[in-house]
Amino acid sequence: MKSTLQISDNQKISSSLFFFVVLATQIGVGIHGFQRVIVKDASNDAWISVILASIFSHIVVYFMFKTLSLSTSDDLYGIHQDLFGKYFGNFLNLLYVLYCSFSFYSVIRNYIEVINTWVFPNLPQWFISITLLLLVIYAFTGGLRVMVGVCFFSFITGLWILIILYMTLKYAHFNHLLPVFGNDLKSILRGAYSMTFTIVGFEIINVLYPFAKEKDKVQKYVHMGLLFTLFIYLSIILVTLVYFSEEQLERTVWATLALFSVVKLPFIERIEIIIICFWMIIILPNLCLFSWAAYRGINRIKNIKATTFIWIFSILIFFANIPILSRIQIDKANNIFAQIAFCIVFIYPFLLYIIAFSKKMLTKKRERRN
Amino acid sequence: MFRGNKKKEISTKNAVKKEESKQIPIPSSKMEFLDKLKETMHSPADLIVKKISDTITIVFLDFLIDGKTLNEQILTTLEKVNSAPPKVIKENLLIAEVDLVTELNKSVFELLIGAVLIHVDGYPELVVSKISSYQSRGLSAPENESQVIGSQVGFNESLATNISLVRRYITNPKLCNEKFVLGKETNTSVSVLYVHGIASEQHVNTVRQRIQDLDLTDLIDSAVLAELIDDNSLSMFPQMLLTERPDRFCDGLVSGKVGIIVNGSSMAILSPYTFFEFFQSREDQNLRWPIATFIRLLRFAAILISIFLTPIYVAALTFHYEVIPQPLLVPLSESRAVVPFPPIIEAIVLELIIELLREAGARLPTKVGQTIGIVGGIVLGTAAVQAGITSNILIIIIALCALSSFTTPNYLMGNVIRILRFPIIILAGFWGFYGVMLAFCYLIIHLLRQSSLGSPYTAPIYPPRWKDWPDSLIRLPFPLVKRHSVNTRSSDTGKDTSNSLSKEEKVTR
Repeated sequence: MKSTLQISDNQKISSSLFFFVVLATQIGVGIHGFQRVIVKDASNDAWISVILASIFSHIVVYFMFKTLSLSTSDDLYGIHQDLFGKYFGNFLNLLYVLYCSFSFYSVIRNYIEVINTWVFPNLPQWFISITLLLLVIYAFTGGLRVMVGVCFFSFITGLWILIILYMTLKYAHFNHLLPVFGNDLKSILRGAYSMTFTIVGFEIINVLYPFAKEKDKVQKYVHMGLLFTLFIYLSIILVTLVYFSEEQLERTVWATLALFSVVKLPFIERIEIIIICFWMIIILPNLCLFSWAAYRGINRIKNIKATTFIWIFSILIFFANIPILSRIQIDKANNIFAQIAFCIVFIYPFLLYIIAFSKKMLTKKRERRN
Repeated sequence: MFRGNKKKEISTKNAVKKEESKQIPIPSSKMEFLDKLKETMHSPADLIVKKISDTITIVFLDFLIDGKTLNEQILTTLEKVNSAPPKVIKENLLIAEVDLVTELNKSVFELLIGAVLIHVDGYPELVVSKISSYQSRGLSAPENESQVIGSQVGFNESLATNISLVRRYITNPKLCNEKFVLGKETNTSVSVLYVHGIASEQHVNTVRQRIQDLDLTDLIDSAVLAELIDDNSLSMFPQMLLTERPDRFCDGLVSGKVGIIVNGSSMAILSPYTFFEFFQSREDQNLRWPIATFIRLLRFAAILISIFLTPIYVAALTFHYEVIPQPLLVPLSESRAVVPFPPIIEAIVLELIIELLREAGARLPTKVGQTIGIVGGIVLGTAAVQAGITSNILIIIIALCALSSFTTPNYLMGNVIRILRFPIIILAGFWGFYGVMLAFCYLIIHLLRQSSLGSPYTAPIYPPRWKDWPDSLIRLPFPLVKRHSVNTRSSDTGKDTSNSLSKEEKVTR
């Protein structure tokens, strides 16, 4: 039998909130320093790579929704079980849960590193991870509505950072952007590939989709969310390109933060210190929703309570955070994560759609014959 | 004093006990009746027993009844009828509320409310005529929620007066009034008010259910009731509004909220209430909309300043000197040069002093309170700076925070805003901006987790009810404002409410 989800109405969230969910999950720690990697590949045409990556994600989202709407009201985990049977389906589910956990881990790891490098060199890592995990637990036990609320408020309260970003345009050299299309398509595409680590996050809708109130409207809001993130990424990459020279950028790990540090307000200097601390509320929705997505998957495999899950999950993540990693190791971890994410987010949805679609056609044919 | 929700078993047991004790018949002989009555009432000094004739005796409690009616109506009638059966007496009495009662306990209860018991020798019944007269305070201006424009009348301590005030504002047969009696020892009457068809059935049921589930020994004030029936008593934030303004109360009722008035308390409860509504004042609707919008935004800015300014100061001075620009850093360090304490101690001590001043001012009579303000504020402040215990910039910041916290139009919420600062200052003192952000995230999650009568506490901002936004953080002109927020709208009569809505809007305009 099909294992469709039973979700009561008061658990569901309004579809317009998917806009904020997509925004909040896409923008995380990648945004701190994605410029260096892309510019290494695509040089001053990096902004085209950003647009290309965004277009790819739109296509992926389109196919994700196609797959999700093939089954009536199921999330990715249910589709897996439906298509591949209980054992292989659960195996795939476990992989997806691991992916979500890895994503959680990488967000928290990168944030700890940024805090330690820029603000508090002496603040112990275990302290940062414990406080963040406690916040996640507090939000998680409040339920999905609270977590989506965190997404919403992280967007609303974080909008001012964009204004700070545009203040750096005072020092812009717009001729850095020229010549346009100076690089071949291959390097631009490679730049788009390097965007993976930064742009992923929207795959959360795979799990969140059954919780939408009006299912037909969700896709619209997801695409709008993707467009808004494109706007943010594009602004950042353009501002970065006109501010830094290429050689400078190659030596800057966190270009976005470096950008903020040149802004001078009458009351505040070194605003990046405030922004980095403020970033906590921007990564919080990432942490909440990825742990939640992992919970949904685990729940399919074995029925456990949400509270039990989040405590076990947090303790595991806490222990995973204990070994101190160097910048190079973290970079390596990020790269591995990006490769996995590229496969899971950008390639797998097409495969899944083809399998789901052909299975549906087959069953239809069989029904017709009968 | 013991209050609390008890398990159902105990409450049913109590109910059984009550039933048993209720069944005392009224003795027909006069002497026996008086003995029994005095025994149940423990012969109080203000119990007055008056013999009218050989058979008729009247009993009442002094000061609780209207002497004029007693003299003019009851005594003259009793003289006329002279030893007639109680039924005849009841018919002859020209008083609106007259009853025949056959149980002792019920009659004692009526006696306590302010009734005259008429006993006729030989009959096991009593004529109970209710002619109660309360000594209540006259209507005066609401002192804690003053406003410049708008009505200047406040609730007083009498339930009857308060309900009559509400009825004056809302002349509508749909205004429902359900009565409850709470508290085993105090027998306090509580009225639940709502406008039928506008208030959501679900909310009314919730309130009714929660009040019925209470098992109280006593109920003196509505604030206690509000804390007992709200969603999360552990939270610092009030989830129901306590107001002494009838206009604010009625405004809530016609926009679909459920109101509770407790006898003996001049504060009425209004629920469900959202976080953002606590920062709105009735006056906002009496002002022109751009001004009202400006004032509302100012209030929200004031909250943020009040909660976060001192912690940010502490964090910046303890950990993040580089955030402060050079020109500002010089006077800052100059003023702090002589101060022997770290910023966190300096800030906490000063905040505590401000709290002490506020508390002393609130407890003292008005005239002395002002003196305390001057002595504390000016003398203590200047002296502390001159003695080198604090820096004068911190004094400015603390004063600004205190000032901002007083802009909150609700006293309960204002308290929360003030107290919230202390844990955040400590966090800021230990972990700088990171600590401040921890508190900020915690606050947001905490607010998101709260609910008021089951509806979200942060509405209409989240979950976003775009149609209610014109009257939330801002106030747009009336034609753009929907009178009934999604939060409190009754489910079945969307169309109906919009009709009654336009009428009410005309009235408010």
